[in-house]
Amino acid sequence: MTASTLRAWLLSDAPRSRLQARAGQAYLRWISFKTNPLALVGLAIVVVLLLMAAFAPLIATHDPLAQSLDHRLRPPSATNWFGTDALGRDIFSRVVHGTRITLVVVLFVVVTVGPLGLLIGATAGYAGGWVDTVLMRVTDIFLAFPRLILALAFVAALKPGIENAVIAIALTAWPPYARVARAEAMVIRNADYIAAVRLQGASATRIVLLHVMPLCTPSLIVRTTLDMAGIILTAAGLGFLGLGAQPPLPEWGAMIATGREQIFDQWWVATAPGIAICVVALGFNLLGDGLRDVLDPKQSQ
Amino acid sequence: MSAIHVDGLDVRFGETHAVRAASFVVAEGESFGIVGESGSGKSTVLRALAGLNPDWTGRMEVLGTAQGRQRPRSFYAAVQMVFQDPFGSLHPRQTVDRALAEPLAIHGLADAEARIERVLAEVQLGPGFRFRYPHQLSGGQRQRVAIARALILEPRILLLDEPTSALDVSIQAEVLNLLAELRLRLGLTFVLVSHNLAVVAHMCERIAVMNAGRIVEELTTASLRAGTPREAYTRQLLLASRGYDRAAAAQFRTFD
Amino acid sequence: MSAGAAPLLEVDNLHIRFHTRTGIVEAVRGLSFTLGREKLGVVGESGSGKSMTGRAILRLVPPPGEVRADRLAFKGQDLLTLDEVGMRAIRGRRISMVLQDPKFSLNPVMTVGDQIAEAYRLHHKVGRAAARARTIDMLAAVKIRDPKRVYDLYPHEVSGGMGQRVMIAMMLIPEPDIIIADEPTSALDVTVQMQVLAILDDLVTQRGMGLIFISHDLALVSSFCDRILVMYGGRVMETVEARALASATHPYTRGLLACLPQLDDPAATLPTLQRDPAWLGR
Repeated sequence: MTASTLRAWLLSDAPRSRLQARAGQAYLRWISFKTNPLALVGLAIVVVLLLMAAFAPLIATHDPLAQSLDHRLRPPSATNWFGTDALGRDIFSRVVHGTRITLVVVLFVVVTVGPLGLLIGATAGYAGGWVDTVLMRVTDIFLAFPRLILALAFVAALKPGIENAVIAIALTAWPPYARVARAEAMVIRNADYIAAVRLQGASATRIVLLHVMPLCTPSLIVRTTLDMAGIILTAAGLGFLGLGAQPPLPEWGAMIATGREQIFDQWWVATAPGIAICVVALGFNLLGDGLRDVLDPKQSQ
Repeated sequence: MSAIHVDGLDVRFGETHAVRAASFVVAEGESFGIVGESGSGKSTVLRALAGLNPDWTGRMEVLGTAQGRQRPRSFYAAVQMVFQDPFGSLHPRQTVDRALAEPLAIHGLADAEARIERVLAEVQLGPGFRFRYPHQLSGGQRQRVAIARALILEPRILLLDEPTSALDVSIQAEVLNLLAELRLRLGLTFVLVSHNLAVVAHMCERIAVMNAGRIVEELTTASLRAGTPREAYTRQLLLASRGYDRAAAAQFRTFD
Repeated sequence: MSAGAAPLLEVDNLHIRFHTRTGIVEAVRGLSFTLGREKLGVVGESGSGKSMTGRAILRLVPPPGEVRADRLAFKGQDLLTLDEVGMRAIRGRRISMVLQDPKFSLNPVMTVGDQIAEAYRLHHKVGRAAARARTIDMLAAVKIRDPKRVYDLYPHEVSGGMGQRVMIAMMLIPEPDIIIADEPTSALDVTVQMQVLAILDDLVTQRGMGLIFISHDLALVSSFCDRILVMYGGRVMETVEARALASATHPYTRGLLACLPQLDDPAATLPTLQRDPAWLGR
């Protein structure tokens, strides 16, 4: 199929299958997304992040864990593009491998937190009554936990590590999604199309899963993308405090922590991972903004 | 056996007494209209009939079976509803095909393909419409899809809540003709609610006039057209529906 | 239009275009009409361009809309070349607009009385007490009982019919020469509709104003207005005297009249409108 026939197929006025209809809508959204240059920058940053994480061993110039005490705290040079740290490890390679940790943190949190918050919120919003009250009070309990204190508690109870830091972040990150999903579900449940499905004999479960939740998904996608930046910063913060990734893992926050004593003389040790965090957080923010412009159902057709 | 028998229907929303002691009977195959202005309770009656509103008291019999607060699945296969706003009655993220397949899936009916194609043909929408999204359809086309969705379970009773109020006049004519033709061909019973007296008189054989939650009068369309309604409220409504008349407007009053 | 009197409004060859991502959309193509001290109805279905016409007169067409005309004059004064300051002096003061749903056009956080008074003080230099008195007079003129009490109500506390009368009061208080009413009674019950129209009728006739009544309801317009402009696809199909509507000649007008269900004339099937592409000049 040539490019122009594919385009015609996607933009067809009378699609012949569900696949064609869905693909057509996705294509229109992509066209709309493309008109926003900042969103494309954000997408590019995220794609670079993904590629770096996937091909880290190929992109890194050195072994990120290999110490070389003769070459400690060397400035950026031809061999060590970002210089070396206090144990002689190549910072560039550590930053590149750090993308994997960042990605794992972000994906784990988003994949658990998003759907969980959506399900709880949509159910509470649609059902109303005591179901709503109970679910929202549970949400409030988790909302009341300060994230860092919870992480400290986990670390004290279990051992410090990136897994426990991620769990702590996940447990405190889901309530806002539940609240937003609930607000949307409360509006949706009064719509005529929901009344129509009720009139077909659909059970409440079916309605929430198949009819209400799909409408809450676009705003969920936007919010999680925007929140990814915050999650990265929180994980970095925990790493900085020593509560997250443990040495010798090349987690960016931990790298900044170890580099903070040398920040005036050997600025590259803390700066490189710091810039990496900034760039990735910015990338997710821009992408999230771009997605919101495209997915926001309030946009006129 | 009457299709619908309502006796002493009372609906309250908190403080508001939306419907007061409404009683009427609809025979099978009949087209029954309920006309009233906003706040008269006409849509509330319809929604209570459909089972969308569980807070009612009184007695309601549909196709010979007394109905309670919960409706069995068989009820939904026999009674369906077409809503007013074509823009709000279709799920914005579902294609026409998906929207039509849903009731079939809920009731576990096979040969969905054939049924969907047949019902689309009945509402005169070609196959090219099957995989469109609601925002790709005009108001009249959306309403046809809503009618198709109501018909796909092959109901015997169709409840119509202002089905053409949001449509242009020329589209309204097409949709009303479609509804009339479907009713005759499929032997359906209609309960049509509208604020538009001309539409109700065109579509229905008998009319109930509602005001402030009560059924003020029940009359045949023939006597309405003859200009012989019994109640003053109905006469005022009839007069107002004939168009603007400065002298007549001066005599209008509120009925409570 | 009364013979010999100068027209209040002249519109000649009006074009309204929207430049969208998918091409140029022509909302109005080559519309021409004049308005005297009369009630002119502009009737059309959705997409006919009737609402845009009303907005274009007051230069309220939102971007990316583009308005062009050979002539757009109010009492001889050219509105096309008028600057924004001049336009503001006309909007509300000489030409007013009443919109469809008072729920959406009244400010929800101000009392209705204050809104009307504000509308008055925008164009007349008077003190608050004088404006309040004038407002109460105006509320009485639109047949609101107990105007002093209604003055202090908020928009959500008034019914639809009363809200629309408040809108009319707000639009008439500066004593404009022309009112443009865009579906002013479509959101109202039919008996309330009649009462509101009666008020509008009286006020327009008493003050010798011109009224442009935009509506989709041909039957209503034919009983209320003096002349009717029938629009379709951004063009005028026909201009008729309201009394002579039954003898209209254009097939679109006849089609529109025929497809209405009639109380007096039962028909088993309603005739449907057959759209002829020739009407759009294609």
